[in-house]
Amino acid sequence: MEVDLQAVRRVFEDVLNGRMLREQADRWAYAVVQAEESGVVKYSPPRERERIWAGVMYLYGIDAMKAPNAYLHSNDDIREAMMASLGGVGDNLAGDDSAGTRAAVAMLEPLF
Amino acid sequence: MTVDDFRSGIDAASLDVGRRPDATTVRSAVVVPLRQIPPTYPNQRLSPERLHQIDRAFFGPFFREKYGTGGDKALENGRIRYYGPVQRANNAGELAGRRYVHEFDTMTGCTRGWHETLDRMGNVRQVRPERPDGVIGHYQFDSNGRYKGSW
Repeated sequence: MEVDLQAVRRVFEDVLNGRMLREQADRWAYAVVQAEESGVVKYSPPRERERIWAGVMYLYGIDAMKAPNAYLHSNDDIREAMMASLGGVGDNLAGDDSAGTRAAVAMLEPLF
Repeated sequence: MTVDDFRSGIDAASLDVGRRPDATTVRSAVVVPLRQIPPTYPNQRLSPERLHQIDRAFFGPFFREKYGTGGDKALENGRIRYYGPVQRANNAGELAGRRYVHEFDTMTGCTRGWHETLDRMGNVRQVRPERPDGVIGHYQFDSNGRYKGSW
């Protein structure tokens, strides 16, 4: 499994734009964590491993709730966290290169 | 029932996020100089201080980097907990945010993880364990750590 900054950022953006449920983002991040535990994650580029991991670990649990049917985090919280962990990465994306992310999410869809 | 009772009651095997602590060593391919520490003998009960010492020398560099940026704690039962950073919630009333906790059992090599929601006083008010069956539950506690209920 290869994970890059753009893929992580795309998941953040999809959550904020309502294109992806928080529960789906959480399961995507959980799949990355499990793959990391198995030693099969490749970070691209490797020097960005810390930032990628920080983003993944924010997304893991992003669907936490403060009460039934009430998410703990606001969209502002999520946007702030995205900027803190990923900064401006992806601002210069050329077109929609989210195919990889969407393919990964598609693999998770049977879970829902 | 308290927060700690609840955590202890979670079956480590059922919440196993990964049972291969050695896998990270293979992936990292980083030479970590091991510190010289006194040997441990069979049947020797490890104090938290001793466990912490061993963790710093052997396990810590891998787990702490991934899961313990917010701190770590050695427990009496041979387990070590690694705390992630608190992810702030700015509009959640008395709740300050959440963090991921990763626990490593040095006796079995098993790991498990859960999300904790903290109030502004630093008390754990909710625990959300990761379950292999995919069922996600939130377990609530009051400010004194007493179990309130779940959904």
